[in-house]
Amino acid sequence: MFPLASLVDVALLIALVLAIAPWFGAYLGRVYLNRPAFGDSLLTPIESWIYRLLGTSPRQTMRFKEYAFALLLTSGVLFVWMYLILTLQSGLPGNVLGIPNMSWDLAFHTTASFLTNTNFQHYNPQSSLSLWGALLSLQVALFLSAGCGLSVVAAFIRGFTRKDGTLGNFYVDLVRTMTRVLLPLSLLASVLLVLLGLPQTFTTYVTAHTLGGGAQTLYLGPVASWQAIDLLGTNGGGWYAANAAMPYANPSAASNLVETGLMLLIPLSTPFAFAEIVRRPGEGLPFVGTILAVLLVAIGLFLLFQGGPNPSLAGLHGLTQNSLGFPTFGMESRLSLSESSAFQVVSIYTNTGANNLAIGSLNPLAQGVLLFGMFTQSTPGGVGTGFGMLLVFAVIAVFVGGLMVGRTPEYLGKKVGKEQMRWSAGLLLLHPALVLVPLAIAILGGFVVFSGGIASHAYLFTSVLYEFTSESANNGSSLGSLADNTLFFNLVGGVVMLIGRFYPMIGMLAIGSIFAEQEVLPPGPGTLRTRSATFTIYLTLLLIIISALLFLPVLALGPFAQLGF
Amino acid sequence: MPAASTPLSPPALTEPAEVDAATAASRPVIGRRAAHTSLRGVLGDSLRMFDPRHEIRQPVMFTVWVLFLFILVLTLFPRAFPDIAASYNPAYYLAISLILFLTLWFSHLGSAIAEAQGRAQADSLRQIRGGLRARRIQGDGAAVWTPSQELKLGDIVEIHAGEPVPIDGDVTQGAALVDESMMTGESQPAVRESGGDKTSVLGGTQVIQGTIRVRISATQGHSFLDRLIQLIENSGREPTPNELALSVLLASLTIALITVIGTFVYLADFTGVVRVNIATLVALFVCLIPTTIGALLPAIGISGINRVSKANVVAKSGKAVEAAGDLDVLILDKTGTITIGNRLAVQFLPAPEVPLAELLSAAMLTSSLDDTPEGKSIIRLAARRGAPAQRLEPGSYDLLPFSSERRMSGIRLKNGIEAFKGSVAAIEAYGAALPPELRTATVEASRQGMTPLVIAMNRRALGVVLLKDVVKPGIKDRIRELKTMGIRTIMCTGDNRLTARAVANEAGVDEFIAEAKPETKLEVIQREKAKGRLVAMSGDGTNDAPALARADVGLAMNSGTGAAKEAGNMVDLDSDPTKLIEIVSIGKQLLITRGALTTFSITNDVAKYFAILPAIFVTSAGVVLAGIQSFNVLGLSNPNLAVLATLLFNALVIPLLIPLALTGVRFRPRTAIDLLRRNLVVYGVGGLVSAFVGIKLLYLLLAYLSSSPVAQAAAAGVAHFLPIGGL
Repeated sequence: MFPLASLVDVALLIALVLAIAPWFGAYLGRVYLNRPAFGDSLLTPIESWIYRLLGTSPRQTMRFKEYAFALLLTSGVLFVWMYLILTLQSGLPGNVLGIPNMSWDLAFHTTASFLTNTNFQHYNPQSSLSLWGALLSLQVALFLSAGCGLSVVAAFIRGFTRKDGTLGNFYVDLVRTMTRVLLPLSLLASVLLVLLGLPQTFTTYVTAHTLGGGAQTLYLGPVASWQAIDLLGTNGGGWYAANAAMPYANPSAASNLVETGLMLLIPLSTPFAFAEIVRRPGEGLPFVGTILAVLLVAIGLFLLFQGGPNPSLAGLHGLTQNSLGFPTFGMESRLSLSESSAFQVVSIYTNTGANNLAIGSLNPLAQGVLLFGMFTQSTPGGVGTGFGMLLVFAVIAVFVGGLMVGRTPEYLGKKVGKEQMRWSAGLLLLHPALVLVPLAIAILGGFVVFSGGIASHAYLFTSVLYEFTSESANNGSSLGSLADNTLFFNLVGGVVMLIGRFYPMIGMLAIGSIFAEQEVLPPGPGTLRTRSATFTIYLTLLLIIISALLFLPVLALGPFAQLGF
Repeated sequence: MPAASTPLSPPALTEPAEVDAATAASRPVIGRRAAHTSLRGVLGDSLRMFDPRHEIRQPVMFTVWVLFLFILVLTLFPRAFPDIAASYNPAYYLAISLILFLTLWFSHLGSAIAEAQGRAQADSLRQIRGGLRARRIQGDGAAVWTPSQELKLGDIVEIHAGEPVPIDGDVTQGAALVDESMMTGESQPAVRESGGDKTSVLGGTQVIQGTIRVRISATQGHSFLDRLIQLIENSGREPTPNELALSVLLASLTIALITVIGTFVYLADFTGVVRVNIATLVALFVCLIPTTIGALLPAIGISGINRVSKANVVAKSGKAVEAAGDLDVLILDKTGTITIGNRLAVQFLPAPEVPLAELLSAAMLTSSLDDTPEGKSIIRLAARRGAPAQRLEPGSYDLLPFSSERRMSGIRLKNGIEAFKGSVAAIEAYGAALPPELRTATVEASRQGMTPLVIAMNRRALGVVLLKDVVKPGIKDRIRELKTMGIRTIMCTGDNRLTARAVANEAGVDEFIAEAKPETKLEVIQREKAKGRLVAMSGDGTNDAPALARADVGLAMNSGTGAAKEAGNMVDLDSDPTKLIEIVSIGKQLLITRGALTTFSITNDVAKYFAILPAIFVTSAGVVLAGIQSFNVLGLSNPNLAVLATLLFNALVIPLLIPLALTGVRFRPRTAIDLLRRNLVVYGVGGLVSAFVGIKLLYLLLAYLSSSPVAQAAAAGVAHFLPIGGL
């Protein structure tokens, strides 16, 4: 039987984040309401200076097209900048390891990957990325991509509160996200992580002499500050190839707890920020409920599958055993089963994609649990966009549920009509298309070669499925078993990530702006009260059923089929 | 009826003639009449709907239609598709094509029945219109029988008792009793006369008494009757905004599932994990897409309009019916809607030292010849309190009716006794002093919205009778129901604040507006709409027209003026303003039915997955994969039968739900959250459980049937006749 005591880790983690989230969410809400807040005296002058530099001002408010254009322009500029750095990084100073320029297709994939908050790595950081190549291009994107996600969702939420069709000012949102949220928080988190033992240095490596007399290169770098924003912004691209499974990135149970908490902090605070922005206390609770219900069930199932026997490992001898006495492989022995599991499930469900174990050697059903998190994309999903998707699900739930109470559905006093449904339903449709079509092309086009028995077919299928799911959901994790630094996977993957990121963002802005053009209707007893347990349960079930409906066949073909006959 | 050629003597307006009761009584009424739908017509329509031009309007069902043809072709010409050879099973393929056909056909049946019901109503109206004619008065005064379609605007026709009004017009001369029951359902004949506001007569109605001359005000094709027919035929054809939004969601789900199953066909094949069977995947696809709601969506919309018609209301658009479900505010007239419209006696208050019997007797005396509803109610109440009936010999009294100088009414008997009833001021002016106790009582009664009438006999005040505006029975409950649904009611009245407040309190309305002027309703509507609320009102006067037009739901009374009927987006043929409340329920029911069936469709899918997935994951060795076997909670051991049972369940659910789509889900006024909880349990959980149970039962039935020798012989027959030889 599973030792329940080990679940204390999970409980502690959730309690910790939930203690901070309401408070931090309210603060986050105030940031996007441009209300006076802590730090104004220091930050307002700096922000005003940046606005002047950008030629904008908080008084300038944007409509849907302007906001979307500003988002795409900023992302476009960042894309070109990152691509140039990566393809020219060998010439940058401090390249003591002599890292060469990236190939054009790998640079495309990597740029798309970091720009879209996916941080899928088709490269090995220690052999493909120079120190300043990483810091000037990728580290910038760690901040900005998360910032774009939060800005867009703030604009989306504002749509519920406005009547004039405007959504706010993208540049102001982005700058304030940086100055008020991401920079100070990551500074704080970096210090905390340094205290917990993560390296923070510009030295790229030291050579250690082992007891056996050999020499070992120990790669170093500004790991703490990288890890801080990497997790806080649900990016997930590790400084090390092994990501958080590398002891320097996650040395102890304490750092594991802090890092897991960092991933959850903003996604779990956003529902509270939502309630703050729409000025309806408690309106974020259905989302918190939905997120926690799915997340906790996922952690539970993951522990159940991973704690038990792993059919994929049947017949292999000499493996270490997990705490329940079953052979295990690819799990950190530094961390307990529940610590690893909590980190991993949270990482995937927040679409961070950081690893502290090898997903490829997990129990197939545990892989299925992780895949499901990327199917929903919204429990809680990545910073900003995850909540945005959850809000899109809520709009659909309100629509069908609203019908069931006999009124043209309305959400927070805004009618849900055909136009919002067109975008919302379109966003539901996009994700399976972005996963399944490339998957079919990859397999039918012979870009993956099958061999062996059914189980190994199913394993390979799972790898490709996982690859595209991870890219479409902007997650970034992978099974690690696919040779994916190829022209095909770089190009197709890059395109999938870009569409999977920007189409939903534009959709969210569009839905927001449609709401923003409507009057706010006063609530009455005849309107569906979304702040209720009934709606929470309903939203949760709808989300699970729709995600399962769309992905069950491939889930069966992959993880389930891996179980063999 | 005289022959057309018979020349008439110059018409003289005659005394009322005998009523031709037989012709007047046997006219159909559009709503009340049982919908007559011919079975053959419905069947024919349902088959005609297989036309691709019709199918394409419903994206969900169109995909089923395409797949039906696809599987049919595969079934009949398997040789043309060598890829399916390995999995081809003639009886199985044929069964799937058959069930797909049934799925489509059942869906058509729903729409066909709903449409037929709507059409039957229009047809019965058309019957009225056909063959109407009237005497047209020519310039020289001669009358010529002219068919209604040849009548022009401004023509004068003369209509005698027993004859129909040929087309809409205004009475210019004379007065008549007109039977309008075929248009309004109102069995009481209405008085129509020249001058005043009762001049308009409608084509198709029947004069039952009197003779009138009518100036024609509409031409054929533009009369009220024509418009009714048009409205009934066209309403519900155009999808409403909400229906469109739902269609978008359903179409998107369908497209997403096309991607899912479309890619799965190739993925499963290529990975070699399972042996793909095209027919099974088509079955899975059809089961997963929301066919239940997709099939019934048109029927739900049309039947919503039909239900409104059945309530004898003509909705000018389906949108108006939907809007009715969304209403936030109802503006109700006090008189006629909330109250019966007459003040009735409710209580006697004798003055000190006056026996009740004396007061009752005096009250009887003042009112025994008073024909007003107030007077009658005083007699009724007095009788109930035990006063003996009084008979007055003719000639033994003088009646002193109400006059503006006297401001009281009464009677003076020849024996010198005189009795009056009147307002406090009038009676005091008459000279009867009111004891202070009574004065307090009258002030208190006025405060409660009652009207005190003092009864005085021979200049002595005997007591007071209290009159009250009586709230219609049942209206209180309706208003409470509205409140539960979240709809605010505002009562409008020309009465003073005291009376208004009293009625408002008694009826339980949320707000009242006293001393309302004709434009007040419009102001209220604009005020509420500015707050983003949806407002409904009913009205009948020309001065109601602007407000009717501005309201989201404007229910015009058919008895009202043309301007009002033009302005409103619904016309109540019964001219019953309380019907607004009924329409709200119909609107809500319409939306709830859509939502409930969508939820049902979605939760059904869960069970269907559990039934079909194991059937798909059968390896080339014929074994279900271990990981998938855990899905097989229903224990369906024969994959083909499992698929057929699921697909059959999917098809059979449609006809089973047609009655629900046509009548709407049961709707009881509740708060939104209660409704959501209840409908989630009934249609969500119900959809889940019914699918599990239904599929299992159908599976057992199919398993039983397929093991019978007859079925095996049939399967062998199919295999024999279908061209599979040589594969």
